[in-house]
Amino acid sequence: MTDSHLNRRALLRYGAYGAGAAALAGTAASWDRLTGADIPGRDDGSLVVATLGPAYGPAAIRTLTEGFRRVHPDIKVRINAVQAVDWSDFFAKILTQIAAGTAPDLVYVATEGVQLFARRLGVPLDRWVKRDAAELREYFADVHPALVESMMYEGSLYQLPVEFNAADIYLNNQVLRRAGAGFPAADWTRDDFTALLRDMKQSSGSRFTPYFWTNRLWGGVVPWLFANDTNLLAESKAPGGSWLWDTFYPADRRAGRGGGFRWTTPQADQPRVEEAYDYLASLIQEGLCTRPEGGNGQNLIGVFSTGRVGVTPAGGFWAGGLHLAGMRPGTFDVQFFPRWRTQRMQFGAAGYALLRTSRRQDEAWEFIKYAARRDTLTRLFETNQTTPARRSMLTADRYAESGPAHWRVFYDTLDRFPDTAPIPAPPQVAEVEQVLLKHTGTALSSPRSVRPALRRMQGDLEKAMERDV
Amino acid sequence: MTNTRIPAVRPRPAPPSAPADRPATRDRRTRLLAALFLAPTVVGIVVFTVVPIVGSVVLSLFHWNVIDSPRFAGAANYRELAGDSTVLVSFRNTLVFMVLAVALQLLVALVLALAVNGRMPVWLRSVFRSAFFFPLVLSAASISVVMKYLFNQDFGVVNWLLGLVGVAPVPWLTSENGAMATVILVYVWQQFGFSFLLFVGGLNNVPKEVHEAAALDGATGLRKHLHITLPLLSPTLLVASVVGIINALQVFEQPYVLTDGGPGDSTRTVVMVIYETAFEQLRFGTASAVGVLLFVLIMAVTALQFRLSRRFVHYQ
Repeated sequence: MTDSHLNRRALLRYGAYGAGAAALAGTAASWDRLTGADIPGRDDGSLVVATLGPAYGPAAIRTLTEGFRRVHPDIKVRINAVQAVDWSDFFAKILTQIAAGTAPDLVYVATEGVQLFARRLGVPLDRWVKRDAAELREYFADVHPALVESMMYEGSLYQLPVEFNAADIYLNNQVLRRAGAGFPAADWTRDDFTALLRDMKQSSGSRFTPYFWTNRLWGGVVPWLFANDTNLLAESKAPGGSWLWDTFYPADRRAGRGGGFRWTTPQADQPRVEEAYDYLASLIQEGLCTRPEGGNGQNLIGVFSTGRVGVTPAGGFWAGGLHLAGMRPGTFDVQFFPRWRTQRMQFGAAGYALLRTSRRQDEAWEFIKYAARRDTLTRLFETNQTTPARRSMLTADRYAESGPAHWRVFYDTLDRFPDTAPIPAPPQVAEVEQVLLKHTGTALSSPRSVRPALRRMQGDLEKAMERDV
Repeated sequence: MTNTRIPAVRPRPAPPSAPADRPATRDRRTRLLAALFLAPTVVGIVVFTVVPIVGSVVLSLFHWNVIDSPRFAGAANYRELAGDSTVLVSFRNTLVFMVLAVALQLLVALVLALAVNGRMPVWLRSVFRSAFFFPLVLSAASISVVMKYLFNQDFGVVNWLLGLVGVAPVPWLTSENGAMATVILVYVWQQFGFSFLLFVGGLNNVPKEVHEAAALDGATGLRKHLHITLPLLSPTLLVASVVGIINALQVFEQPYVLTDGGPGDSTRTVVMVIYETAFEQLRFGTASAVGVLLFVLIMAVTALQFRLSRRFVHYQ
């Protein structure tokens, strides 16, 4: 039997062990080591700006930080370029940072996240906009009111748009020539579009795809819904916003503008929605376009530039992309989305949202203004990787090297069709997008699948919209 | 009466005894040493396994969207799952995927292990071993990106090659059955290397004498494999199938990158639903509830496997 009582010697030995361990722990605790606080910029009083990584290379980051420092030497700024696949991935990472207590002060937010951020995290910019109205007149005069309205939520402004992209149609000129087709007119119709696809198919081999489109919220089935004068969710406008419209826009340009869009009621089972899906299903059946899941933007530039695709919807960002891929001006061009019941189009815009958790809100506002300046945007968007929100930046010089010849289409989408609007992006946008992608795939598997898939989409959208985000 | 004196029994001197507490001290010291060596692993398991599991169970009883404080929800998240068709379909897909992928993976690995274990130059054997294991060390996400290009219906290399021999384009990733089959194919291609290595090791442990004795009794190649190799390989097969099933039930990267769960929900798996629910829809409580159900499913399947293994696994 063992003696459970410790003798004096054992007691002394364990005491020594304990003292030694305590000394070691104390030494380790006091050791000079790296912690989270040592990450450059963290807790050093810097204004932290989170951007979608791939859109901001080192040169762009330098433009923002060094340029801003010259204007405001007293404000330290740090760009946190978050690497993400798409906007929903980006928002997820930002929210994770917020949950971890390392929230940035400003976040670059696209239409997809405007209302989510506005409802849960954002600070309205109204008081600063009113205070600096004189300074901002030049900005608003240069920016289309539709873009500004897309950044409003329930009567307040949450972002100053710095870029946007409308879903226009890019055409491969080589394919057009092969098909013996001319460049389509600005008011071309859905039937003209179908006829052009057939001509392209006939004149090219069996391994050619006339129309390439991707299954997503922006540039997928949604532009066809807009053209057919409908939408995934019934669209209305929040009251308010006159404080901004009356201050910055003349009467003819502010007519019909409100306090931001409301997308509340799903209408996926409405006849016009079904009609749009039926049309796309017929194109697939006829071999005139890719199935929605077949395509994605990653391989699109390659197949378009090599003449294996005839047309595709894309925004101004594609001018830069095609140029970088080696396509010269004259080898591709751009036209408005074809008319159906209307020629109303869709766009997505982006700007900086100020977070409620920020302790540097006045400094953040200075950054928002700086980021929307014409000289800043000119340096940022040198390679035509997007469409600047400022009309004055779209010049012949800008597109002389990269093309396309009809570059005016980019901003004219707003000017000629002023009812052009943002993609439907309520605060529940992530689930709405997921439901859209899922059921669009099923709906277009065969012509008979459309109606049942849209009914299921309607049910899922109703559930999604009932959820409080 | 004899006067024989019985010599007095003198007690033998006691062997020098150890201090009474010495064995106990040694035991204690051994235990202390063992505890010290085990401590990092135990701490790791507690911090990175037990705490997250308990955390998930607790979180599954709350509504939490990251931004606001969690609100107690009781069993509401679980009740919601019962009526969620996407979740139910994802469990069905995951089970179908598990059965097909693991069966195919074990079959491919076993056949190739038997082939490589046959008569073959040593250098060629090494080449095959490396080649079969190589996909396993690559990132599943990057492999899936490449495969997505290869299997693209309109522009993929696979359909281009098939076109050369007159086969019409196959909707690898855009039809419901085709998408699941392609995801399984890509998964098995990447994963079979692990089972393959286990089988190669297991085959090396099969005693040659048993095969020689069977050969003397007139057993042919196939019969030897069925009646000798496979039973003796059954412990390895158990390990490979347990690991394979646990991995397959947690499949995420391949379907996420290749098909994003589509077309429709046809390749949506449970872990994809967890990711989408948590990080896209910000419903962390519901996502945790799905995670708890998956945990229970994995435990149940693994327990069933061990239970059934008593009948089929033969140890020498």
